[in-house]
Amino acid sequence: MKIAFKLNGIRQEVDCLPDRRVVDLLREELGYTGTKEACGSGECGACTILVDGVSKLSCLMLAAQLQGRSITTSEGMSLGKKLHPIQQAFVDKGAVQCGFCSPGMLMATVDFLQRNPAPDRQQIRAALSGNLCRCTGYQKIIDAVERAAAEMRDEL
Amino acid sequence: MTTYASPIGSSLKRVDGPGKISGLEKYAADYYPDNCLWAGAKRSDHPHALIKKIDISPVRNLPGIFAVLTHEDIKGANRVGVPEMDQPVLADCKVRYKGDPVVLVLAENKTLLQEAIDKIIIKYEPLPAVFDPEAALAENAPLLHENRNNKNLLLGGKVIRGNSIAAMSECDAVVEADFQLPWQEHAYLETEAGVARVDEEGILEIIASTQTPWRDRNELAYALGWPVDKIRVIAPYLGGGFGGKDGITVQGLLGLAALHSGGRPVKMWNSREESFLSSTKRHPGQVHYELGCKNDGTLHALNCRIVLDTGAYASLGGPVLALAMEHAAGVYRIPHALIEGFSVYTNNPVGGAFRGFGAPQVLAGLEQVMDILADKIAWDPLAFRLKNAVMRGDETGAGVWMSNSTAIIPCLEKVQEHPLWTSRQTWVSQAPPYKLRGVGIAAGLQGTGYGPMVADIANAKIELLPDGRFRIYSGVADMGQGNNPTNVQIAAEVLGQTTDCFELIQPDTLQTLPSGSSAASRTTYSYGNALKAAALQLKERILTRACNMGMGLYAEDLLLSSGRLYHLPSRREITLGLVAASMRPEERISIYSYTAPVNRYPDKINPDIRAAGFPHRVFAFACHLARVQIDELTGEVEVCDYLAVTDAGKVLNPQLYEQQVQGGAVQGMGYALWEDFKLDRGELLTRNLATYILPTSMDVPDILSIAVETVEESGPFGMKGIGEIVINLALPAIANGIARAVGQHIFKSPLTAEQLLLILEMRPAK
Amino acid sequence: MSQVFLPHTLDELWTKKQENPAALIMAGGTDLLVKIRDRKLPPAVILGLENIAELRQIEQQDEEICIGSMVTHQQLLDSPIIQTQLPVLHQAVAVLGSPPIRHMGTIGGNICTASPAGDTLPPLYVLNAGLELKNAAASRLLLIKDFIRGPGQTLLSSNEILYKIRIPIPAPHSPGFYFKVGQRKALAISIISMACLLQLAEDNRILDGRFAWGSTGPTVMRFPEVENTLIGEKLSPIVLGKLGQSMAALVSPISDIRASAEYRRLLVSKLPLKIWQSHFSSLSAASGHGD
Repeated sequence: MKIAFKLNGIRQEVDCLPDRRVVDLLREELGYTGTKEACGSGECGACTILVDGVSKLSCLMLAAQLQGRSITTSEGMSLGKKLHPIQQAFVDKGAVQCGFCSPGMLMATVDFLQRNPAPDRQQIRAALSGNLCRCTGYQKIIDAVERAAAEMRDEL
Repeated sequence: MTTYASPIGSSLKRVDGPGKISGLEKYAADYYPDNCLWAGAKRSDHPHALIKKIDISPVRNLPGIFAVLTHEDIKGANRVGVPEMDQPVLADCKVRYKGDPVVLVLAENKTLLQEAIDKIIIKYEPLPAVFDPEAALAENAPLLHENRNNKNLLLGGKVIRGNSIAAMSECDAVVEADFQLPWQEHAYLETEAGVARVDEEGILEIIASTQTPWRDRNELAYALGWPVDKIRVIAPYLGGGFGGKDGITVQGLLGLAALHSGGRPVKMWNSREESFLSSTKRHPGQVHYELGCKNDGTLHALNCRIVLDTGAYASLGGPVLALAMEHAAGVYRIPHALIEGFSVYTNNPVGGAFRGFGAPQVLAGLEQVMDILADKIAWDPLAFRLKNAVMRGDETGAGVWMSNSTAIIPCLEKVQEHPLWTSRQTWVSQAPPYKLRGVGIAAGLQGTGYGPMVADIANAKIELLPDGRFRIYSGVADMGQGNNPTNVQIAAEVLGQTTDCFELIQPDTLQTLPSGSSAASRTTYSYGNALKAAALQLKERILTRACNMGMGLYAEDLLLSSGRLYHLPSRREITLGLVAASMRPEERISIYSYTAPVNRYPDKINPDIRAAGFPHRVFAFACHLARVQIDELTGEVEVCDYLAVTDAGKVLNPQLYEQQVQGGAVQGMGYALWEDFKLDRGELLTRNLATYILPTSMDVPDILSIAVETVEESGPFGMKGIGEIVINLALPAIANGIARAVGQHIFKSPLTAEQLLLILEMRPAK
Repeated sequence: MSQVFLPHTLDELWTKKQENPAALIMAGGTDLLVKIRDRKLPPAVILGLENIAELRQIEQQDEEICIGSMVTHQQLLDSPIIQTQLPVLHQAVAVLGSPPIRHMGTIGGNICTASPAGDTLPPLYVLNAGLELKNAAASRLLLIKDFIRGPGQTLLSSNEILYKIRIPIPAPHSPGFYFKVGQRKALAISIISMACLLQLAEDNRILDGRFAWGSTGPTVMRFPEVENTLIGEKLSPIVLGKLGQSMAALVSPISDIRASAEYRRLLVSKLPLKIWQSHFSSLSAASGHGD
């Protein structure tokens, strides 16, 4: 099946099985391994991407659902070598340890800060509650989202 | 002259952050070589059975199936395991747990792979199975491994000091309790994964998510029968390890597959369910404690019996037992002690290394009986701990000499003076309606390294590149703890450079040097010491060469800083690049081998326990405090506040230090409250992340971290390993808090809401 | 390999359904695709409803609120209509799954999956929700309590979809609550859930009280005869405690991997007190009464 969609701003046309999982399409066919898989069943958030700006789980999406959509992954957040403010906040605040959950956390944060640009810590915890992390205990990720929110408000 | 801020002691950003957050850093799971085959195992569905017949005929000629392999295809010994090599790569005569791999399939894609695995028929003759360690120790228990003198006992032994039986009767107060500790699943986000290929020269190259690349290489050579110098193992950043990748996971099957794939690369990546099925777990334990003291608060006698279920294969079940026994008396002086330990084979999944490595299981029990005993003699639990806590030069109740930095007392004192502790009564009295509150503490320690008999060696290699930048050849895999970034920080400190002047080569048996496992809280301590020395060597060589080039007469007049060298008396300067260009390649490389000091005393310990790692020499210490609130209507436990006070020597990077404390504490909370691993007769009931409950961001509080900074002279810049101490104390601190809230201790963990509510229901009505 | 169709109109849907009678309907995919991965459902042609715009509307009409079956949980959370008019439903979707699951999962999917633990179900039961089912030819209306027959079992015919959920607007001054006990605070299947809708007089006398329980039996349970005993009683911990005890004797929970039947039953006896704990205990403190 031919599917046309935008990936990180670039038009893609792929020919693949319609029921190919989006996480596999991104990683294997298109070489974007930033989106991870850690459970395959919607329980961990490592596969989180943005679909038309909304965070969704790519392990529970089929290739056919990409038709006409605009997809954003962690690779698409940086501008060339310059990190997006949210990415920079993750780096600055020590929110990345093993890093395997980080792309998913990033995409969940991008979606969230669009909805709520001035959150408190409890709201941030709720926003990231679909993304499991085994290394950080979440705290520095919360710190990073707080910092990113403040940065992005100042830039407005 | 440019100046720079000293890297050591500052919260320098981890150099691996940008690559990971932009999705560009490649983990083992992220490699998809062209033309690769997918490998997967057909695993046993019996906990204990003889293999009568393996019928691969239904699948061998299916389209898209490249090969189907059994143990007969293995040329080598078909055994892996350290120190005991008892685990087959593919089961030969029998299977010993549900999950034992029997057949390996290579297929063109994952769908065909799974279909083929489903179609393979294996005829088993079930054997009687045993699932409880005590039953496995009984006289006529089914035997897992043939020809073992000790039958199902992998390792057992005693630590005896004084005469604890007699001493117990001299005590004014005695407390006795039995604790049940569950399995714990590592549940790293990146499951076991790798790719492998045999190239034109016959080199078997494996990229794997592994904590042990050099050891893997040796094990694979022996198991698969391939020359060790024709095996290359590369360890990229791991997506978590925690001990679960300490040893062979997929590497044996991958290597076997690559040896039969006609030169095509092979990939293997465990699904989450397969990871649950096949990976090692924290040993569940049954721990009996009897602890006695005098009315003046001095601990006098300890009897402790530890039984660990090591499952179907040895893995690190011996060393975990030895460490548990060593830590069974915690941080206390106890003149009389009898500590008995057993690590027992059963037909359950395999127990192996998991952060803490036996310490969480015993400290869970010890720190709770300490609270119960304190109450019995009407002592404040913190004062009781202070009264008995070791100082440098003391021996613990397990007979371990605290020869190096020992700051448990300052840790306890920091908790004692903290508002979270001093205000505890007020806080408890302010519990909202239908809530109960309690504040609990726990203290403990964690030894670093491998013990007295297994050398802890790291070989650092650092190179000055022709352009004046540096390349560090990392010897120890980075599973997220940040030893790679810390290495950069150490080298930057010694060489006076900013961290962006450094390149890192990940552990690679072809390019970097053997440096032991990413484990045992040793990674920065050992490799950092080696690297510091190697960098110093290199620096001296650079300074000397600069002198030769006319920069001055004496090396000590030269300052190396941010890409330049300065002659301080004359202010002459030269670029590092110029100096580098004048050096031959062999002059620009510096190698240093570091061996960690060990504790050679006492030597009267059972030799098998000693070989397994008793005792250690350098210890980290901590005291944790948990403020818990229990919902009387549901039993749910909320950790409202958590304080971790740690002695891990000098803090090289405060942000990294906190990363470990926060992450370890939350992983410890999971062990305490939510991670209820369930098995029924060898069958996993909690087999994925839907049923094995990890804490989410909404379940845990912010962790307050205080560092008690001693100087550990043997550690680089005075540091000690912190990786494991951080997980050891959440369970007992929370358990003690809960006990104060509900009026009784709970001896079986995890401390689920269900357990709590049923206990609350059985309390006499007010 | 399976075909996937994402029609843009109902007419297209009916056509594709006719061509593929064994096709599976996909709403958000969060249940269906997990079941297929776990091999509880065989691979099949998939008909996804996500591009059919008329299924995604939330409208308030005179006496009822109409929610399209493909409205996502996030849409419900964001909707001022749901927040102000149906707070019991709003509270439930706030604790359902996790943020990405709420972006993908739908109210229609939650209903048709008919898990005894489905978070939207107890609220829909206390709200006496009606379900409009449609096929190519006709529509029919069923109450949710009649639609769901057992775990995973509904009266949905193979040629039908759930089209709209129609909820009578509750009377004014009807506080609604949803309490869920899970193994953790997010990404949790409910061990027990309770939805309640109360109509209170000024002095807190109960005019009407509806309680629906999730994960207590094969479907959501309500006990009208016990609910009736509340009428005229003043809301208090004692009344709520007795209510819990009565209902606990009537539920039929199972023991499973998440919880024992004994724990579930105990929770049922205590959960009504959550109403007092979260919303009225300040009242009690002010009046000087203890609990």
